[in-house]
Amino acid sequence: MTHPSLSTRDLTIRFGGHVAVNKVTCDFRPGELTVIVGPNGAGKTTFFNMISGQLLPSEGTVTKDGVDLTRLSPSTRARHGVGRAFQLTNLFPRLSVLENIRLAVQAQTGDGRRFFRPAARFTDLTARAERYLEATRLEKVAHLPAATLPHGDQRKLEVALLMAMEPDIYMFDEPTAGMSLDHAPDVLDLIAELKHDPSKTILLVEHKMDVVRKLADRIIVLHNGELLADGDPDEVMSSQLVRDVYLGTAA
Amino acid sequence: MRGTLTVKGAALLIWALLLFAPFLFQDVRQIEVAARIAIFIVLVASYDLLIGYTGIVSFAHTMFFGMGAYGVAIALKQMGPGWTPVLLGSAAGVAVALVLAVGIGLLSLRVKAIFFAMITLAAASVVLVLATQFSQFTGGDDGMTYRTPDLFKPATKLLVDAEGKVLSIAGVKMNGKIAAYYFVFVISAVLFWAMLRITGSPLGTVLKAIRENEARAEGIGYRVVAYRTAVFCIAAGTAALAGATYAVWLKYTGPQTALSFSIMIDILLMVVIGGMGTMWGAVIGATLMVLAQYYLRDLMEVAAGATANIPLLPELLNPERWLLWLGVIFILLVYFFPSGIAGTIIQKGDKA
Repeated sequence: MTHPSLSTRDLTIRFGGHVAVNKVTCDFRPGELTVIVGPNGAGKTTFFNMISGQLLPSEGTVTKDGVDLTRLSPSTRARHGVGRAFQLTNLFPRLSVLENIRLAVQAQTGDGRRFFRPAARFTDLTARAERYLEATRLEKVAHLPAATLPHGDQRKLEVALLMAMEPDIYMFDEPTAGMSLDHAPDVLDLIAELKHDPSKTILLVEHKMDVVRKLADRIIVLHNGELLADGDPDEVMSSQLVRDVYLGTAA
Repeated sequence: MRGTLTVKGAALLIWALLLFAPFLFQDVRQIEVAARIAIFIVLVASYDLLIGYTGIVSFAHTMFFGMGAYGVAIALKQMGPGWTPVLLGSAAGVAVALVLAVGIGLLSLRVKAIFFAMITLAAASVVLVLATQFSQFTGGDDGMTYRTPDLFKPATKLLVDAEGKVLSIAGVKMNGKIAAYYFVFVISAVLFWAMLRITGSPLGTVLKAIRENEARAEGIGYRVVAYRTAVFCIAAGTAALAGATYAVWLKYTGPQTALSFSIMIDILLMVVIGGMGTMWGAVIGATLMVLAQYYLRDLMEVAAGATANIPLLPELLNPERWLLWLGVIFILLVYFFPSGIAGTIIQKGDKA
C-alpha cells in the first residue's frame, strides 16, 4: 500500500461545549477517492475546514507528506498542495471566468507578485487557464463575469478553480449541491477524470448515493462528529450501523 | 466596450488638455487649477488602489500626501533652494510614509475593515497634531514658505530668442513657470501611468480578487495580509510623491494644503464621483471636483447677476452659497451615477 499523503490524528474541534468533530484519525492515500458521508450536522464540512485551514482544531494534527499543517494559514496549505472547493459557490463574482481561473494558475506559478507587465501578456498563464476552461467546457462564457453564470456553470467554475491550483489533495464539498440532474453528470465526469492520475488524493463530501457508489474507492462515515465507519464502499453501505444512522432507526 | 471607450476617451481628453494647459489657458489661476487637477488625479488614483481595487478603507491618505510635502518643504527650508533638498526631502517623505504604511498594514490589516479605518483615522490625527505642534520644524499652523530650485523662478529663461529675451511660443513665455508646470505634469502623468500598469498586471487581478472574496483568495494560495500591506505601501508611496511634487509647485506647505481632513474628504468625494475600481474614474472625479471648487462661485455670480430681477433666485444663487450647491450637485451625481460617473457609464455602455 502506498504511503498516506494526508493524515489526521485525533482531530477535534469544540465550539463552546459542543464537540463538532471528535478525535478523527484517518489516512488518505494517493490514487484513492474517499467519499465522506454522514447526516446533516455530522461535521463533514467542519472536518474539511480543519484540513484546508479555514478553522483551527482544538486538538489533534493534520499532516501532508510528513509536513505538519495544523497551524498554517489556508494560503500556505494551498501552496503545500491542498486544494479545496466549497459547498456554497465561492468565486470572484465580478471578475470574468477566465480571470477567476487565471488567479488560481498564477497563485501556483507565483506570478501574482508581478506588478508591471500587463496580465494579458502572460500568454503562458492564459494558455494554462484556457486548458482548464476547455476541460470544464466553459470556453463560451470565458469573458462573462462569474456572477452572471447559471448555477451549474458556477459549480463547474468552482471545480475549474480547484483543478487550476493543481493540488495533490483535491477536496470537493458537495460539488453537485443544488444542481439539476442534467448538469450534475458534467461535474462528476470531471472528478472521475481526475481519478485517472494515481498521484492525486481525492476527498469528496457527497449525499447522493448513486454518486457515492459510482466514484468511491472508500467511504468514511461521520456521525455526530465521530468516525463511525471506514472502509470498502459496499461493505460500509451494507453495514447495519450505517443504515441505522441514515434511516434514523438507531435513534 | 462602448462605455469603456467613452470613459477612456474622456480621461485621455482631460490628460491632453492638461498637456497643453499652459498654451490653452494662460491665466495664472487657470494654470493653478490645471496643476492641482494633475496632482489630485494621482492622489485619487492611488487612493482608489486601496478603496476601489482592494477594498481597503483608509482615512490616512492625506497623511501620506503630507509626509511627502513636508519632507520637501522642510528640506528646502533648511538647506535652501536646489535639487538636492528636493530629492532628499522627497526620499525622506516617501521613506517615512512607507515605514508607517508597513507598520499600520502589518499591525492592523488583519482586523476588520471598520477597525482598520479607525486606526488610520487615529494615525492621521496624531500626525496632524504633531505637524502643528513642532512649529520650529514645520511652521505650525502657518506652515512654511520656501524657495524652490532656480529653474522654477518666473525670471528663468527656458528658451531665448536671438536677442537674448525669453522666447515665446504661441504667445506663451518659456519661463520658469512653464518649467514648474511641466515638472508637475510629467511626474503626475508617469505616476498615473505606473498605476495603470499595476492595475492591469497579475498583481492587479489579485487585488481585485481580495476585494471580491478575501477568503477564497487566501484559499487558492495568496497571502492576503502580505498583498494588502504591499498595496497599502504602493498607495502611500505614490501619495507621498504627489505631495512632494505639490510642495515644489506651491512653494508653500501647511496643514491646510497638505494634511487637513478636508483634503481627505475631497479625495473621498472625487473617488465616489469618478467611480471606484477604475483608474479612469479618478481622472474624471478629480477634474470635476477641482473645477467645481474653483469655478462654481464664479458661475453662480454670473447666474445671480443674470437673475437679479427675479425674486428669491439671486439670493439662492449668491456665490456665498456655493457649498450648498456643491452638495446638491453631489447628491444628484450619486443619484444618477450610483457607481460613479466612469463606473456607471462603463456598466451601462458595455451592456448596450
